[in-house]
Amino acid sequence: MIELRNVSKIYLHGSSEVSALKDVSISIKKGEFLTIMGPSGSGKSTLLNLVGGLDQPSIGEIFIDDKPIHNISDDELTLIRRRSVGFIFQFFNLLPILTAVENVSLPLMLEGISFTKIKPKAKELLGKVGLEKRSEHRPEQLSGGEMQRVAIARALITNPAVLLADEPTGNLDSKTSEEILSLLKYLNGQGQTIVMVTHDLKASTYGTRIIKLKDGALSEDISIGGNGK
Amino acid sequence: MSLLNLLRFISLRHMRLQKAQTFMAVSGICLGVAAIVSIGIINNSILFSFEDSINKVTGKAVLQITGAQSGFPEELLEKVQGVTGVEYAVPIIDTHGILVGGKEESLMILGIDVLIDHQIRSYSLSEDNSDIPDPLLFLAKPDSILITNRFAEREKIKLEQKINIQTVQGIKTLKVRGLLNPEGPAKAMDGNIAIMDIYAAQMAFGKEGRIDRIDVSILKGETIESVKKRIEDALPKGYNVDTPEGRTKQVEILLSTFQRNINLISFIAVFVGMYLIYNAVSIAVVHRKKEIGILRAIGTKRGQIIRLFLSETLVIAVIGSSLGIGFGIFLAKSLVSVFGQVVSEIYMRTSVNEISISYDHLIKGFFAGIITSIIAAMFPAISSSRITPISAIRSVPFSEDGFFTKKKLGIASIFFVVCAVCLFLQYKLTENNSYFHSSLGVFVATLFILIGLSLATPAFLKAYLLFFRRFIASKMGSSGKLAGLNLQKNINRNAVAAAAVFYGISVFVSTAGFMYSAKMSVMRFIDNAVKAEILITSGHPLATTGSKNIPMPLDMLKEVEKIPGVLQADPFRKLYVSYNNRRTLLLNIDVARRLSYSSFMVVSGEEKNLSNILSNKDNVLINEGFALKNNIKPGDSIVLPTPNGQVSFGVAAIIVEYTSDIGSILMDIHTYQRYWKERLADTIAVRVKDKKNSEAVRKAIQDKFGNDRKLFVLLASEFKKEIRKIIDQVFVFNYMLNVITLTIASLGIIVTLLASVLERTREIGILRAIGMLKKQVSQVVVLESMLLGLAGGTLGCVAGIVNGWMTLDGFYRSDFGASAQYFIPYASIIWAIIISGLLSAIAGIYPARRAAKTNIVEALAYE
Repeated sequence: MIELRNVSKIYLHGSSEVSALKDVSISIKKGEFLTIMGPSGSGKSTLLNLVGGLDQPSIGEIFIDDKPIHNISDDELTLIRRRSVGFIFQFFNLLPILTAVENVSLPLMLEGISFTKIKPKAKELLGKVGLEKRSEHRPEQLSGGEMQRVAIARALITNPAVLLADEPTGNLDSKTSEEILSLLKYLNGQGQTIVMVTHDLKASTYGTRIIKLKDGALSEDISIGGNGK
Repeated sequence: MSLLNLLRFISLRHMRLQKAQTFMAVSGICLGVAAIVSIGIINNSILFSFEDSINKVTGKAVLQITGAQSGFPEELLEKVQGVTGVEYAVPIIDTHGILVGGKEESLMILGIDVLIDHQIRSYSLSEDNSDIPDPLLFLAKPDSILITNRFAEREKIKLEQKINIQTVQGIKTLKVRGLLNPEGPAKAMDGNIAIMDIYAAQMAFGKEGRIDRIDVSILKGETIESVKKRIEDALPKGYNVDTPEGRTKQVEILLSTFQRNINLISFIAVFVGMYLIYNAVSIAVVHRKKEIGILRAIGTKRGQIIRLFLSETLVIAVIGSSLGIGFGIFLAKSLVSVFGQVVSEIYMRTSVNEISISYDHLIKGFFAGIITSIIAAMFPAISSSRITPISAIRSVPFSEDGFFTKKKLGIASIFFVVCAVCLFLQYKLTENNSYFHSSLGVFVATLFILIGLSLATPAFLKAYLLFFRRFIASKMGSSGKLAGLNLQKNINRNAVAAAAVFYGISVFVSTAGFMYSAKMSVMRFIDNAVKAEILITSGHPLATTGSKNIPMPLDMLKEVEKIPGVLQADPFRKLYVSYNNRRTLLLNIDVARRLSYSSFMVVSGEEKNLSNILSNKDNVLINEGFALKNNIKPGDSIVLPTPNGQVSFGVAAIIVEYTSDIGSILMDIHTYQRYWKERLADTIAVRVKDKKNSEAVRKAIQDKFGNDRKLFVLLASEFKKEIRKIIDQVFVFNYMLNVITLTIASLGIIVTLLASVLERTREIGILRAIGMLKKQVSQVVVLESMLLGLAGGTLGCVAGIVNGWMTLDGFYRSDFGASAQYFIPYASIIWAIIISGLLSAIAGIYPARRAAKTNIVEALAYE
């Protein structure tokens, strides 16, 4: 479903080149819950950004559902992000001026669908993540865990092929972290493909497969079947 | 649709939440549009008042024949009446007098042939005189006059009352034989119009045997063009046979320079407003960097982001432009009479009290506001789309100058300055080619200087802050240090605020320099031309061209010279003549006498022996404006229409002469009298034997003529003071523009500082947490504002001096007809620096208060 072939990413720092990712090839199957681990600077977020189309590889090819997402125009890539990928960020990245339900509806609003038509589905998703009563609250009125739930609902509204989560519990306490991870596990159980970056060993146990990166290169690829709660 | 969603859920919410910023942006556009709209309406109203007066006085006439302002022989009337196709040709004396006593109102006086004028115009009298069978017949008595009901009410004049009117022949007592209803001619000039018998008017206004105009109606079945052609053939060359619309057109040409200049000025206001929008949108982009990143990450296309910012600008522009229209109408209403007065003083008598709104001007203003705003928002909007989706995840540095990198800014700055220099050089080097020698090029050059130097603001600000931190900050304690550091952190953004002040101050200094130099040059010219100790005029202290001035008979000269203490009395007569179908000012003086005590400021041509060349000879001097507009060199000849046909005059020299912006010709008064058969003077310049006795001589003149006519007998110093007053009036719009641009500049500072304060919430919170007092926080922000203002102000002064000099060279000579030397306006520069510091300190107060109110706990939790 997601295929990375010999992908490298090189950043320019002033006049010197820094390799963030070196010749990585991975294949992610539909329904997998892949966890990417590694120390700081190992290239895990870079890898996630490339899979999500937030960034373009310097060398190599990336396919989602057999469609290439490398060497395509910015607009095409944007549409892939909008329709095929759902993002969950460490700092939630909700728009402070929108309410929870409006934040969730945003990706579909970008498709030109009117808010009134999206609202029922957005509310349903908020219900699914346990926030049916908080739908009219603004981000500043929500707790960290609640904000991350809103972000998950937003990521789900387009029925994306893959859900990408970058340290989704990095900014949450352990109890809330467990709740969020359980929610992701539940979604995965429903067939949702998930790719999650984390440096929390416990979090990685919720996945079905773990890959480890070191200095930008793939160092381990372990299939675990998942034993999270 | 998706754009509508974004606009509704994101943009409109930002506008609502950030009321202050929205208010500033809306105000900026509003002021710019108001400038365009008000100027458009004022220009239109002035032209409309002329057109209206011409139409109301025209009646059924479809053609009007005019010659020199001095009038033409009445024998021509018979010739016109004999032309095939002419139905009626009626003679008119079109002049004015002043009501002596009361409010001293100026009256347009029409001298008409009572027997036939009703064929062209209709007059209706108020019911009080309904027992008069034919009121016009009563006018046959030479002391009769008809005035309008409106004028009578204003001046509390009753029927059969005797009134005193100042005429060329002195004060005449006339009897009001009837009051005209506001119909036809009586509606013109706001009712300041009176009707006399043509013969009586000729006698009273020194026009014996002459008429000012012939109004013609044509027979059915004839076309205006064919009759016009026949009349032109029947008359000597040099007469204008025109339709009333054509006469309006002539007025339009007469006022074109004046109108174009104030239009250009309003354009600058829009330009500064445009800058404010650029500033506001740039700041919004930086401020909303994270939001844009999120939107991009979840699938918003670059184009959608650009359109989002442009649509936001559009909403603000529509609101600002709509308000600008309203404010423009208000400004026009408040200022139209001032402008009317200026036009009356300098060009032609008019009375404008009402504004005449044309939808064209409103639409023009509205769209100018919208289009310029969109253009201004374009750059920051495009740079917004450069924000990467990754910036939503982590703090990727976004170079806020967008594609305006330091290098590009430097190159663009040099490019614009070089272009400006080239344009100006092209202007200077093509002096003899009127096609390329255009003041429009100079205007563009001044704009390029503004753009070029404003692009250099970041570099200048950097150097300026370095200087501040090294030499001044240390003496100002922690506030000074912090302010310097804060500003240095965001040089490019702060440069945008400094540039707003830069624009305001540069416009201020360049107008000040232009006005100061113009004033100094005119005063130098006046000092050179007016060596007399006393000046006598009638009706108006300066006897300006369009004024309420009433000429005096030349016989007065001898009587003045008889007064003890008077050394000599020189006449000065000026009037419009037509050259190449354009009005030109003909100035007549006694050249020999003038040269006996003062010389002309010759630019090229004969300098010596001018007395012999000009005195009673067919030679003239012309001013630079006239030479430039008509491409005439010394040695060439010009053909002028005189009441007795066309005469060719040799051009002896080109001189510096400031009397008019439409070009002027200077002739010896004896030559003038020979051809124009008129013996009048607008001004009599009196030289006294002993300067100490000037006051006594003035009193003697006043005593001698005071009973016969109302005179202004001014000492040279008073005369010069009046001239200064007129120059100030001419520049009234420049003052208004200064206020508008400085207001917009202050708005720019507020917008920038507010954004900066909001962005530094966390930092301010930390400072407050470690013990900084609210007062100290405010001090830092106000100080930052002042520093920005002073930086912009200093650079603005430099641009202002350069632009003032270029504008003077580019506009003054071609528009006002004479070279002017540039004088650096030192006093205004000191004021500009004080204003920029003060205004920006005031602009900093609101952001400072916002900063001081920062909630420490919230600020520290701020992500």
